[in-house]
Amino acid sequence: MTAEIAIQARNVSHQFGEAGEARHVQALLDTSIDVARGELLCLIGPSGCGKSTLLNVMGGLVTPTTGSVTVAGKPVRGPMPRDLAFVFQESALFPWNTVFENIVVGMTFQGVAKSEREDRARRALRAVSLEQFAEHYPGQLSGGMRQRASLARALSLETGILLMDEPFGALDEQTRMVLGEDLSVLLSRSQKTIVFVTHSLGEAVFLADRVAVFSARPGTIKQVIAVDEPHPRKPSFMTAPKFHALRDQLYGLLHDEIRKAMAESGQTRRRYDDVANGADA
Amino acid sequence: MAVTRTATNVSAPGGGPQLRRFLQRHPGVMRLGVVLVIFIIWEIAARFLMDPDFISPPSVVFTSFGDLFTTEGVLSALGVTLYELAIAFVISVAIGVGVGLAVGLSRFAHKSFMPIVLLLYGLPQITILPIFILLFGINAPSKIAFGVSHGMFPIMISVAAGVQNIKPILLTSARSMGAGRWHILRYVIFPTMIPSLFAGMRLGMTGVLLGVLLAELYVSTAGIGYFTSVFTQNLQPTKLIGLVSLLATMAIVLNEVVRRAEVHYARWRD
Amino acid sequence: MSIRARMPRERGLWSRIVQLTFLAALLLLWTMATTEWGVSHILLPRPLSVWHEFVDIIGSGEFLPDLRVTLGELAAAFAISFTLGTTLGYLISRSSYWIKVFEPLFAGIYSIPIILFLPLYVMLFGLGPASKIALGATISFFPIVLSTIVGFGYVDRTLVTAARSMGASDVQMFRYVLFPAALPVILAGLRMGFTVALLSVIGSETIASLAGLGHRIVNLAENMEMARMFGYIAFVVAIAVLLNTLVSRLEARGRWQ
Repeated sequence: MTAEIAIQARNVSHQFGEAGEARHVQALLDTSIDVARGELLCLIGPSGCGKSTLLNVMGGLVTPTTGSVTVAGKPVRGPMPRDLAFVFQESALFPWNTVFENIVVGMTFQGVAKSEREDRARRALRAVSLEQFAEHYPGQLSGGMRQRASLARALSLETGILLMDEPFGALDEQTRMVLGEDLSVLLSRSQKTIVFVTHSLGEAVFLADRVAVFSARPGTIKQVIAVDEPHPRKPSFMTAPKFHALRDQLYGLLHDEIRKAMAESGQTRRRYDDVANGADA
Repeated sequence: MAVTRTATNVSAPGGGPQLRRFLQRHPGVMRLGVVLVIFIIWEIAARFLMDPDFISPPSVVFTSFGDLFTTEGVLSALGVTLYELAIAFVISVAIGVGVGLAVGLSRFAHKSFMPIVLLLYGLPQITILPIFILLFGINAPSKIAFGVSHGMFPIMISVAAGVQNIKPILLTSARSMGAGRWHILRYVIFPTMIPSLFAGMRLGMTGVLLGVLLAELYVSTAGIGYFTSVFTQNLQPTKLIGLVSLLATMAIVLNEVVRRAEVHYARWRD
Repeated sequence: MSIRARMPRERGLWSRIVQLTFLAALLLLWTMATTEWGVSHILLPRPLSVWHEFVDIIGSGEFLPDLRVTLGELAAAFAISFTLGTTLGYLISRSSYWIKVFEPLFAGIYSIPIILFLPLYVMLFGLGPASKIALGATISFFPIVLSTIVGFGYVDRTLVTAARSMGASDVQMFRYVLFPAALPVILAGLRMGFTVALLSVIGSETIASLAGLGHRIVNLAENMEMARMFGYIAFVVAIAVLLNTLVSRLEARGRWQ
């Protein structure tokens, strides 16, 4: 694949708080990676390893302490709503709007012409098979449907890049599998670049073209593994020997890092998670 | 933790098993019954046991409403009071939302000014009622001002609290989609604030009612206060009870309107 | 959107500074208005004058008879509402049916400003302390009875079942389970009742009375003795704050959660 670079991260380091302060945390240390256009790159690693931080840095939500990121050739200095769209783990749908209204609002923010909004919204809902629930409120939907609605909102923005932060993390395994298959189908139909943060080894191998494995905190990319399998991936891929081999390889790389992360004090990790999730934004 | 009633299900009194069962299934009906009993006691006491110079039975009050309305100035006084309530409420909401947003949106402003707001809210404002009258006169402006002074605080406090409780993920998400300050205010902050606003407005309406009516009662040379004073001094309990009942009804209706609005607009929040 | 201070500790200090500056600025405005900007002393007395009057009020003991009247009315009103409210509340709480009947009724009545009925009370009881006591008792009855109903009526069933399984008698049940469980809620209701009784008493003294602190303030206003009136207002506010703090402390002592 001719590698046209969609996202380029160079020597990104990020810390929360000043050195010496009680809440100081070195989230990322000197991380670099290129994301090719049209590929699905998974970021995986133990808790607190900075994968979400890297995603936020790529998306312009966090300015890194050092290092830089370029998206589609442009340096990232803040949110770039025309180039990238986020899907978060927590439902970021506005509870006071219906699903349809939520999608329209996103386009209002981005600056889409009024006349186009409704059509785009309907198309996005069709893409995730949620047309029947357009007039429902998020509170009336299951977790899986909410995340599909969040995905629809991101799709309606018609960006080249999707940044997904553990979007299926709060869902049960069966829903995860089905949504993962749908995502794979979507990927094969569009040319979108996706950066996908996950905890799940199986999910990473099933979805990704490449998997970037993080070390424990202070996080940096330990190794990048390629998954050579075309999209759309069938459920049968999950029983293939290649799948298991890759999964084992991932586990081998992660095992020690996970232990290391668990040995750290729970308190520091919790504070880091609060800060990383924007509580202090 | 299951917090359930520890009380036993004692059956309702009443003759005959049919009636009993009906009343048991409809406590609301029993409630009306209780209210009716109170009215009956009032009727009997006022008619036979007490001095008619000082109290009137409800039957007389009810049938004499016509006299009350034809008494010169009563209807317009009631109208003016309603007008004062409306204006005071609107102003309270305006100030309450304005200050509430300003204080709630900034963590620093909240920490600095909220204690002052709470302190002012807790003071017995009735002590400065004479000052309001001296400042604003004996007519509508002073009543409105006193009403605003009571009604704006609960709204301020509720709005500030509502805004403080925005889920950060919603702000992050909006930012990531390119929302500017105005967009965030209009599409995220404002809708979040609505349920708290309506809860605050319910308390605010109670406050406005208190403020306006207190001021009205205090000023015995004009408005409602004039009539309560006149009816008391001229020993006209029928008219006095009628007037007070009308005011009470006004208060109940206004409270109920705001309460219904709150239920309606906070639908999505559960 | 928030002004992030360098360190969280400093943020607390800065808020304090802002508050003090705000209050100092108000005081300055007040002084300037009455001395430099020529706001009439009939409307707004000078801060210094108010202070002198305040000191005089306390020093001369002039406040004593009025204070005695007001506190007396308050005590009587609260005693009545306390007794009636807790007793009735307990009795109602014994039956979930009667709770359903009375709780919405009481809550509904409480939502309107009952002080509205003051003219009726004055008609029945006259301008003396009796009407203030009666109205104060009426108004403070509601938060007390409601909190008593809720406190006793909604005790965790698990606790009651456990006690019953261990053989607790009705008296023991009340003493060791119901009462301690209900206490925090009831105390909160009592505090609310006390606050509301105080406001009611002062309020009714302001509107229709011959004695008491509320009446004194109105009297001074009518005689245009502004500085002294402000002094008394400050005094009443101080008393209110003192009493409320006392009652809050008492409430906190009774709380286990």
